[in-house]
This record gives sequence, structure tokens and C-alpha cells, in this order.
Amino acid sequence: MSEAANNQKNEVIDLAHVEKGSSLWSDSWRRLSKNHLAVGGGFLLLAIAIVCVLGIWIGQSHEEQNLSLGPTAPSSDHWLGTDMLGRDMLARILFGGRISLLVGLVATFVSLVIGVIYGTVSGYIGGKVDSVMMRIVDILYTIPFIIFVILLMVFFGRNLVLIFVAIGAVEWLTMARIVRGQVLSIKNEEFIEAAQALGLSRMRIIFRHIIPNVIGPVIVYATLTVPSVMLLEAVLSFLGLGVQAPATSWGALIKEGADAMEEYPWMLLFPGGALAITLFCLNFLGDGLRDALDVRRSKD
Amino acid sequence: MNLKETLKVLLGGSLFFAVSILLLYVLSGFGDRPRLADDGAKRQILHIANGSEPSGIDTHLTTGVTEHAIQMALTEGLVSEDPVNLDPVPGIAHSWDTSEDGTVYTFHLRDALWSNGDPITAQDFVLSFKRALSPKLGNEYTYMLYYLVNGEAFFKGEVEFNEVGAKALDDKTLQLTINEPTPFFLSLLNHHSWYPVHVATVLENGDLDSRSNKWAREDTFVGNGPFVIDEWKVNNVFSVRKNPLYWDADRVKLQGIRFYPLESLDTEERAFRAGQVHKTDKLPLPKIPFYIERNDPNLLLAPYLGSYHYSINTTRPPFNDKRVRQALSLSIDRESIVKNVSRAGEQAAYSIVPPDCAGYTPRQLFEKDIVKAQRLLAEAGFPGGEGFPEFNILYNTLESHKSIAEAIQQMWRKNLGIDVGLENQEWKVYLTSKMNMDYDIARYGWIGDYVDPTTFLGLYTSYSGNNNSGWGSQEYDDLLAKAAKAKSLEERMEYFHQAEKILADESPFIPIYYYMSSYLLDSRIKGWYPNLLDHHPYKYVYFEE
Repeated sequence: MSEAANNQKNEVIDLAHVEKGSSLWSDSWRRLSKNHLAVGGGFLLLAIAIVCVLGIWIGQSHEEQNLSLGPTAPSSDHWLGTDMLGRDMLARILFGGRISLLVGLVATFVSLVIGVIYGTVSGYIGGKVDSVMMRIVDILYTIPFIIFVILLMVFFGRNLVLIFVAIGAVEWLTMARIVRGQVLSIKNEEFIEAAQALGLSRMRIIFRHIIPNVIGPVIVYATLTVPSVMLLEAVLSFLGLGVQAPATSWGALIKEGADAMEEYPWMLLFPGGALAITLFCLNFLGDGLRDALDVRRSKD
Repeated sequence: MNLKETLKVLLGGSLFFAVSILLLYVLSGFGDRPRLADDGAKRQILHIANGSEPSGIDTHLTTGVTEHAIQMALTEGLVSEDPVNLDPVPGIAHSWDTSEDGTVYTFHLRDALWSNGDPITAQDFVLSFKRALSPKLGNEYTYMLYYLVNGEAFFKGEVEFNEVGAKALDDKTLQLTINEPTPFFLSLLNHHSWYPVHVATVLENGDLDSRSNKWAREDTFVGNGPFVIDEWKVNNVFSVRKNPLYWDADRVKLQGIRFYPLESLDTEERAFRAGQVHKTDKLPLPKIPFYIERNDPNLLLAPYLGSYHYSINTTRPPFNDKRVRQALSLSIDRESIVKNVSRAGEQAAYSIVPPDCAGYTPRQLFEKDIVKAQRLLAEAGFPGGEGFPEFNILYNTLESHKSIAEAIQQMWRKNLGIDVGLENQEWKVYLTSKMNMDYDIARYGWIGDYVDPTTFLGLYTSYSGNNNSGWGSQEYDDLLAKAAKAKSLEERMEYFHQAEKILADESPFIPIYYYMSSYLLDSRIKGWYPNLLDHHPYKYVYFEE
């Protein structure tokens, strides 16, 4: 009997291989690379990240003040001008970009990991476990975000890691719901039944068969999470809960610039532009990835 | 998607975007929002952007300028003040006699009413002073009433209240006996710590001396001032309307005042330009030079009797070492801060009393000296700032405080090698942290309560409830006591100079600058005169018809 089952399994895999001719991932990659907007967005994003990281080694410091200089318009000394305390805007934008991108990516990653695992387990196991797990999500949803962050601050003090945790801990809720919905819709499909019939463990089914199949919507949602996380960080910084001076982020820079936008427009224009371009890139990339990863889409 | 399609999408998108922006812009031109300022000027309603949400309106429990702006409308003391030169003028008392030696004041109260119709009696004042002085209440301003004979002794529980120098001779006659002849005593009475409270209302809501007594709320508060509470929406508006029972109601031209807690100088400035308020709290730093340059008719710039300084929590190491405190103070470039950061023509401060305060000008006892600062820091055990513990500058949320704190943060880092963090808190939270001494270094703005050096020097006495530094010195207290007894003006000044020498040496705070008022005031407002305390009794304020 066991002999027969093994034969059958090999056959299935072989058939699948023949039918596809290429893997899911390489198909997706092919589709993505045809989408110029998405590829361009991705490259630009990468370029921004590299410039921000390398920015540390560009002459100017983000915290070196020149009080007697004060706010000056862009010039050959300060390409993007200076702020109220005479600090170089370019250096500050690059430094702020590092914080903003870091917060955006890490917090999204945290929410992604928690949300996907939680949602898949809840959706796949179902029944009472599902009810309990989803009610927990409902309860967490009701906690006001700002109060939650203030509570965290009281217990752990103020630091950057806390921002990641706080934002990640809030953002994963929506992710978990989306993933659970996806899982519910695919868990009765034949390939899952097949895997169950073959006696695979739950863990293996979840990680090997379910998660790769829900990754499409997850990635799309993740690319949309990054901008919202970056905005959340700006809100926190504004309230004095985020990064603290002299460190800065794009959100904080935009806040400062908005205060002086009529007198010194460059203080708003440049950090605002940097954030806008980054968000555009992320959206184009996310859009392209959705098209590319949609397994149900007919093949080209 | 190919390249052509991509371009099409991009082009189409941006075109749509541009058209919708244009449409919004055009549409917003029609249907202007009603301008509250114009409406207010027509109906005699004053709209004021008042900084923060007031922490309360209980006259014995508040200390801030924000709260004072509202209290001035709701309550009146024995005397009031002249709107131009701040001289004492009759308030609830229509006249008063002074004994020959200048220590006994007899006030004759007029037939004035509380806002609920009760007559105002001398007993109301006596019980209010008892409340203000009772140790259980925890009034930060108790020391303002120490001028009364046995005021301090009662606070310390050494005598009963009937021995304190405040007696009601009959319903309408009040006698106050003070320790020393005090030339500015009448001006002192206009401070809110000497205001009366409606005792019956306080008792209805709890004990007379209970801090948690909730009598000073929208629906329970009873006052005696030119205005009564109309509506108090937290974080939205504090609105008052004319009090028809006020004794001088005929003079009051304003029909109401709205106080808005906007918490942001920029929002205030924009609200002013959009015609939503008549007066802002302070002009945002980036805008000051532009307003000065174009000579804006709405800009009010005037000397303001106040000290902007950083209070140091001297109970926390390493700030319990005066060398550390001196080093922090010596390494700040105040001239650069007033010239490049605050920019409204403030004066750099090296002491707490502003220059020419009732004829007294402090001597400059130190100047910026980085070498000495570094040496002192090294002597205290932190050569080059090495091993200096982490600490924070606490300030209430406001852009201008942040800019100054950032500048000082950088000066300390550069000059001393010390890293300091910045921490901002909302006004009420900040006040609580400061009072509970839950801070390392806190921004502190101290505005004179009356025009005399003692309003500043008294702040850092060991018995002052507003001294949140944990520092106190018997020698310093004694010098001020001697000054109070001084026979001549010169002798008095000399004691002040000696007292300031102690302050400069001990440095329980870091003076930064002396205030300037710099705010926007609708030019239609009349009866609003620039003065040192920035007090503007509302009963004289009106809009030109």
C-alpha cells in the first residue's frame, strides 16, 4: 500500500513539472520585469535607500548647527538650503530618510511575520481556535493606538526599537484578518486536501502549501503598509513619542517645514518631495507585484 | 504593461491631479468661511488664542499665564489695576485707609454681588485667605500671603487662623495687617492668589481646603468678575459672557470672550490671518523677522517682565554638585540664542530679575566662559563630559521651546561633551512633572506677578511653592527678609544684589533671556495698552464701533 502511495506522489509531482515548464517564481519575475513602472519604482527606491545610507559619509552633519547663519535658501554650500538653526537640509533629509525607511521596512516586516503566521493558523485550524484568535484581534483593535504607545513608553522608556514594536504590534492586526480570509478561501481546494491525504503535518501544510499561495495579497498589503507606517512615525514624532532631536525623520522634517513654509519654502519642499517620491515608488512596486504574483491570473 | 501604456497612465494621472487641484482652488474661492474676527468686532466678542488648555480655574491652585488670562475675566480682588500703568485702582473695595506705619490696611467693600446674586462680604475674603494659606490645599502661591502677620506661622501649623492678620470688622469692612510696610502691597492684592472664592459653593462641593474639590467647574463655578462662564469645552473653547451682576457692568463693553487652546503658534498665526481670532499668544519664531520688517500694524512688540530660564532639579546627581550647574550655565551662548533663535529683541539674561524692574537692575555676575565651564566639569568628576549620566530637558510642547532646547543641546555637546535628550509634555502634564520634581532640567518661564524684584527673587526662596529646584538656602531667605525690613531704597537694592550673588554662585537655575511680548493683536481692538506684565483688564477692552 505504501509503495503505491509513493508512486502516486511521484507521478503528481512529475505531471505538475511537465505542465508548468517554469516555476511560479520565475513566471512572476518575468511578468514583473515587463512592468516598467514597477521596475523603475523598485530601482529608484533602491537608489534612495543607498543614497540615504551613504549619506553619513557626505561632508555635512545633520546636527551641526550654525546659529548665526540661520535659514538660507539652497546655495552651492548647502545644496538644499539650511533650516532654522542653520543645519544643512541635505544632510538632515538623508539622515531622516534612514530613520523613515528603517521604520517603514522593519515595522512592516514585524507586522508581516506576526500577521501572516497568526492569520494562517487561525484560518487553517478553524473552529473554536479560530473564534478565540479572532476575538483577541478584535479586542486588540479597540485599544487606542496613542494610549498604547504612551503605556509602552512608561514601561520601557523611549527609544527607536519601541517605535518598531509599537507600530508593528498595531499593524499586524489588519494583516492577520486579510490572511485569514485568504486562507479560508483556499483551505478547501484540492491541493490542500491532497496534502492532508498524504499525511503531511499541519505545520508543513501551513508553511509549504498555504503561505506561498496567499503571498500575493500579502505583498500588496505590505507595500501599502510601508507608507502608512512612515506616516504613523511622523505622527509619533510630532507628539514627542518618536525620534528625538537632534535625530530626525522625514515626518519630523515635514512638520518643521510646514511651520515655516511661507517664509522658507525649501524646508518643506525637499523633505516633502523625498517622502512623496518614495511613496510613489512603493505604490508602483506594490501594484506591479500584485499583478506579477497573482497565481490565478491566466498565464501570458 | 509596455512603455507606451505606462507613459499614458502617468500623463493621464498627472493631468487628472492638476485639474482636480485647480478645481478645488477655484471652488474654495467661493463660499468663504465666516470670519469670526469680523463678526466678533461687530458684536463685541473677543476671540483669543490662549496657548494651552487651562489646567483649571481655581484661583488658589493655578500658576500659569494661560489660566490667569481666564481668571482675570471671572474674578476680581479687593483692588483692580489701571490698564495703562498697572497702578492699583478700586476693585471690590471702593476705598481703603492705611495706618501711619503702613502695616494696617482697612478696606471698605462696595455693595457688589457674586455671579449667583449673593452679596460679597468681608468674611468671604477672610475665608478665602484661610483657604489659600491652609497647608492641606497645597497652594503653590502660599508665600504670596506670607506678608500677612502670622501668615507663614498659620501655614506651618504654629498658630490658629484667628491670629492671622486678616479680620472682618463687619460685613463690608476688612482689615489686613502685614509684617512690614510694603510699598507694592496693593499691587500684590491684584494677584490671583489674593482673589476671593465663593465659600458656600466651595463647601457645597467638598472641604474648603481639599485639593480634589471640584467646585471650579463649568456648571458650579461662582465668580465676581466682569464675565461669567458660558461654556467650557475641553480642548476646544473656554467661553465667557458679560456678567450683568458685576458692579461696574456699565463700563464693560465686551459681550463675551472666547479662549481657544490651540497649542501651536503656527495654528494661532494662521487662525489670526484667516480672521478667526483677535489675539495670538506668541508669534512663531520663523515669522518674527518678517513681521518686524514689514512693520505689520497687528504686531505688538513690548518688553515683558519675565524670565525664561531652565530650572535644575538639584536633588538628582550629578546636579546636586554646584560646579556641574555652573558649568552648564557658563557654557551657553545666550547672545546667540536671542539674536538667532528667539529673534524678537529679547535680552540675554544672566540673572533672574529683568533689568530696570521697579528701579532695580541686576549686575552681570558672570559671562559665557567655556574654559572655566570645562574646568568646573572636570573638577566635578566629568572631564570632557566623560561619564556624565543621561538626562533630559523637559519643556511644554511648543515649537519655540524646542528650537531653544535644540540650540542648547548642541552647545552643551560641543562645549562640554555632554549629551542631553529632549522631552516634551503637554502643558498640564508638564506642570505636574515640574511640581513633583519629576525632571532633570525643565524649561521655566516666570512672569512677574507685580512690578518688583521680589516677584522674581521670591521664586527661589526655600518656602516658595513655585521653586521646583529642590534648592534652598537660609542665607538667601534671610537676605530677602532683611530687604523687606530695609529702611532705604539703596539698602533694599543692596540686599537684592547680595541675594543674586548667591543665586549666581549656586545656580539652581540657568537664566537664558528676558521676555519680550511678541504677538498679533487685531488693530480694531481699543483699550489694550502694552505694559510690563501684559495684563489687560477686559473691562476696558472694546471694539471701535
